[in-house]
Amino acid sequence: MTRYLRLLRIFTGATLSAQLEYRANFVGALLASLGAVGVALLGLGIVFGQPGMSSVGGWSFREALLVTGFFMLTEGVINVFIEPNMSKIADAIRTGSMDFTLLKPIDAQFGVSTRYLNVLRVPDLLIGLGLITSAASGLSVTLLGVLGAALLYASAVVIVYCIWLALSTTAFWFVKTQNVAELFNSVFGAARFPVSAFPLPVRAFLTFVVPVAFITTVPAQAMTGQLAWGVALASPVVAAALFVATRLFWLRAVGSYTSASS
Amino acid sequence: MSRPGPLNTARVLFATRLAEMAEYRAEVVIWMLSGTLSLVMMLVWMAQAQGAPGGQIRGYDAAGFATYFLSTWLVSQLLVVWVAWELDFEIRQGTLSAKLLRPLDPMWTHYASHVAERLVRIVPMLVLVTIFALLSGARFTTQWWAYPAALGLAALGFTARFLYEYAIGLLAFWTESSTSFQELAWLVYAALGGMFAPLNFYPAWVQSVAVWTPFPYMLGLPAQLLAGKAGPKDALRGALIMLGWLVVFWFLRLAVWRAGLKKYGAVGA
Repeated sequence: MTRYLRLLRIFTGATLSAQLEYRANFVGALLASLGAVGVALLGLGIVFGQPGMSSVGGWSFREALLVTGFFMLTEGVINVFIEPNMSKIADAIRTGSMDFTLLKPIDAQFGVSTRYLNVLRVPDLLIGLGLITSAASGLSVTLLGVLGAALLYASAVVIVYCIWLALSTTAFWFVKTQNVAELFNSVFGAARFPVSAFPLPVRAFLTFVVPVAFITTVPAQAMTGQLAWGVALASPVVAAALFVATRLFWLRAVGSYTSASS
Repeated sequence: MSRPGPLNTARVLFATRLAEMAEYRAEVVIWMLSGTLSLVMMLVWMAQAQGAPGGQIRGYDAAGFATYFLSTWLVSQLLVVWVAWELDFEIRQGTLSAKLLRPLDPMWTHYASHVAERLVRIVPMLVLVTIFALLSGARFTTQWWAYPAALGLAALGFTARFLYEYAIGLLAFWTESSTSFQELAWLVYAALGGMFAPLNFYPAWVQSVAVWTPFPYMLGLPAQLLAGKAGPKDALRGALIMLGWLVVFWFLRLAVWRAGLKKYGAVGA
């Protein structure tokens, strides 16, 4: 365990020093962050800008802003921690450099999941936290609510990671999976709004088929104290089940790996 | 050997690009599904209209929103442009150098690729829009002239968008971040084009700024034509404005291209 923690520190140091070589890229990344928050806020702003429009799916403006905050935070988690690693899996399989990862005396899933960071997108995390704080400041939020939200958000991060890993792992069979990000984002875009803002069948799809609801809506509900106990328990259960399932899927994929040149 | 005429060049260019795009047909479907912003907004507005007093918001009921946003989605599918990413890659990797040796501006190869991709896209696009329309209750206009008019406006809009995106892509001659500028340009296009809501839902000052940009005429107007909410006069006026913008973007692209070539010192040279 301490060995893995030490590895994490080494990986972080290596990826940081590589990225700080290209400081000018920070400007571009900042523009991209602003673009992402712009889309999220514009969508919300126009809906609430209509006369007589005081709620979306039963959520007030501040409550909905909380969801947008969790959305941006998740964008940050994906852009900083998840995508930089997952996007390299398909390439490593295509070129055969996955061999090196598999040969190392550490768990291969840990290796492919933690090697890289994209610090340039840290502003996404800050924007997300800022939105959550400013939205929560106008709501009656209890300490218990914040703790619950933090716990449920941890489950949400696990869910997001599992979906990305499962999608990226398909590269062991279908080499071309660069479009995985596109597919995920197309559904994840709906997480800018609370799930109750959608018609009933879509809501069911976003809860049971692709568990987008657990990523942004559920932590926001925990924060405002509107969460039912059943849902609060479901989120960690879904996260744990997904984690076990993707772990098995990953092991199976690695078992069928035959390298690039053989 | 004599140089082939421009028509012959165009034919060969288009045929080879079409063959290439047909290879990517699975990706084309994934790219189509990735542009879901107007669909997400459609669902939100439909639910909002159902909960509103009288079932309407500014004259749009749920089916009205479905019609508007599906039309926007359809038009935005025809306006997809990815040339900025390709230019960013070509300029940074230096693969542009080889293309400069040809007796043809590389822009035309990209343009042919984009047009060819539209042909690959059109069948799955019509299938999807039919399914979405059946599910959401959207009703498109029965006026026959609106369809060629919307298609014409979309063609003008696509060409205008291609030219300004090309100019943004050429910024890669000077900066590593040209694709980030492209993303910001997309945000303005999506907002003023009407992907979040019909333009008259915006604050008045935004609307008065928007009419001075090409975006409402390339996206919102053809969508309103398909929804039966705009007349032939609007279409004609929009087409004239788009032609004006085409001229502007043509020279803008040319100026950036010439300035960029002077700056370009291919990688490794």
